Amino acid sequence: MSRPIILFGLDGATFTVLDDLVRRGVMPFLGEFIQTGARGTLKSTIPPLTPPAWTTFVTGRSPGHHGIFNFYQYEDAVSSCPRIVTSRQVRCETLWSIVSRASKRCGSLNFVAHSPAPKVNGTIVPGWVPWRWVKKHSHPEGVIDLFQNEIPGFDLRELAMDFKEEEKAVAGNELEDYDGWIDVHVRREKQWFRCLKHLLTEDRPDLLGIVFDGVDKLQHLLWQFLDPACQPDHPSEQFLSTRSRCWEYFSFVDGFLKETVKLAGKDAMVLIASDHGFTGTTEIVYINSWLADQGYLAWSDRATPESRASQGLGAAHPYHLTHMDPEKTKAFASSASNNGIHISVAGVRGEHGIDPGEYESFRDELSRKLLTECVDPESNEPLVTRVWTRDEVFSGPQMQLAPDLTLELRDGGFFSVLRSDVVVKPRVAVMGCHHPDGVLIARGNGIRAGTTLSPTHLLDIAPTALYALGVPIPEDLEGTVIQEMFTQEFRNDAPVEFGPATTAVDESTSTHPADFADEESEAQVLMRLKALGYIE
Amino acid sequence: MSTDRNSIKADLLKVLTEFRDDWEYTDEITESTGVFGDMGFESIDLVALGSAIEDHYNQSLPFAEFLMNATEQQVSDITIGNLLDFLTENLHDGKASA
Repeated sequence: MSRPIILFGLDGATFTVLDDLVRRGVMPFLGEFIQTGARGTLKSTIPPLTPPAWTTFVTGRSPGHHGIFNFYQYEDAVSSCPRIVTSRQVRCETLWSIVSRASKRCGSLNFVAHSPAPKVNGTIVPGWVPWRWVKKHSHPEGVIDLFQNEIPGFDLRELAMDFKEEEKAVAGNELEDYDGWIDVHVRREKQWFRCLKHLLTEDRPDLLGIVFDGVDKLQHLLWQFLDPACQPDHPSEQFLSTRSRCWEYFSFVDGFLKETVKLAGKDAMVLIASDHGFTGTTEIVYINSWLADQGYLAWSDRATPESRASQGLGAAHPYHLTHMDPEKTKAFASSASNNGIHISVAGVRGEHGIDPGEYESFRDELSRKLLTECVDPESNEPLVTRVWTRDEVFSGPQMQLAPDLTLELRDGGFFSVLRSDVVVKPRVAVMGCHHPDGVLIARGNGIRAGTTLSPTHLLDIAPTALYALGVPIPEDLEGTVIQEMFTQEFRNDAPVEFGPATTAVDESTSTHPADFADEESEAQVLMRLKALGYIE
Repeated sequence: MSTDRNSIKADLLKVLTEFRDDWEYTDEITESTGVFGDMGFESIDLVALGSAIEDHYNQSLPFAEFLMNATEQQVSDITIGNLLDFLTENLHDGKASA
């Protein structure tokens, strides 16, 4: 067996928080890990958002190629309603598939847009799946039964995402029960770690990836307790109590890391990575209200300033879209998570919208107005600091699914899509939001110790992991091997080797290329279930 | 694969009953069974059910449009019979395959 590679994903992790927790002694093992490893900034996608970012991480391709732009998005170039993303919309081969084709074994736990699980040589338990469907959408068939029988304390309901709870983080709602929120995520991370331990000890995959997403969820709602810059001079007892509970969560993560490194063995390489970083947001920009004020958007009868129709992940459908009148709307934001604006073009997703011939002039005019006229009414300061067209940031065969414009707001936050009487208002308390600078920390056999790396990008992770595994790097991956992360001795022994391009995903059936491995993996699980007497 | 109402009903019940025990729903599933009120689904489960049905028929279905055209109250009252009506209207003979 080759040297095992562990991709230890911490969703939303940022050095702003991690360094502080190391300094305070909350994460002692992480401190040791950093001192004896290599660390650097890992740049995220534009916008820095979980589905496109982790999909870039596992494919080594940019969103315009892999086709994942948001939690909800249009399924194809003509569909009129967004749907929650699934693995069927991932149009590029994943790391799991590439290593399977190289006759290596993989494990993937809690990655977004992996449901239903593609068939690979190994195990995939997808994240972002309601508990009732995890069993059906995992690979190989029977693996959840196996976990239930072999892993003490395994609880599917605790493992799976509670979408009603998650809405709080995505929608940025205020939360009263901080302790309950933290407890939910401690329990969930423990469940995922049990799965990781099981795979590490029983399956010993060559490449094993996991995402702990509680880091993101805690930071969204509890940023004021985690950001060192937000700490009050004279904290209340309540503040100290909640901060202590937050630290408890990170202490568990530190313990998971320590045990993972131990179980993986001395030959392993462990890469800690986040899909994006984090920062604080202090205001809410109601972008659709601004578009309405400018005459680009018309509200429907369903929209009232009080309407709080679901815009979060727990909804079967993003109902807030029905708050707009499609016949009179030319531009709108469809999601509170990606700062994207769609332009309605007649004949593309319906009959209504601007004339196709006006597209570029309309887009340019809207961009200009967003940058110069979308302002804070009190200070007259621009609320939008940057506008990207989709040609600039989503170039590729899947670009038609992306928003026409992507915005950067002055405080780095994500806008709201709901109707409001004001364009901007301050938040009651600072909330966490995504930042482009994530983290990369690597340690293990072949990794330079005590090294600070130049900034790298999520695109670089897939080629780097393949290089470390000794698998030829497909020539169509967009990133590069992070060579400075490796010792000279390692690099001398293992020159970078390129191979043929990735195998295309069959768009008609969404079949991933490693499906050949399915029967073998399922047979192994069936044998173990039979041995346990679970099936006849 | 036939797409008449009875065979669709049999297929839908097969998808649902496959996991019913895990979901701790032991009552009989009939056309009047409420997806939310009786089976205890959360709304995201309906999205997953839609994907499972699409998988079964290997055919894309306008679930998003179906939900878009309903009020939130109508969605919360969806029954198995409503789903059958939708599937019967939108599944096409010849396109579906197992």
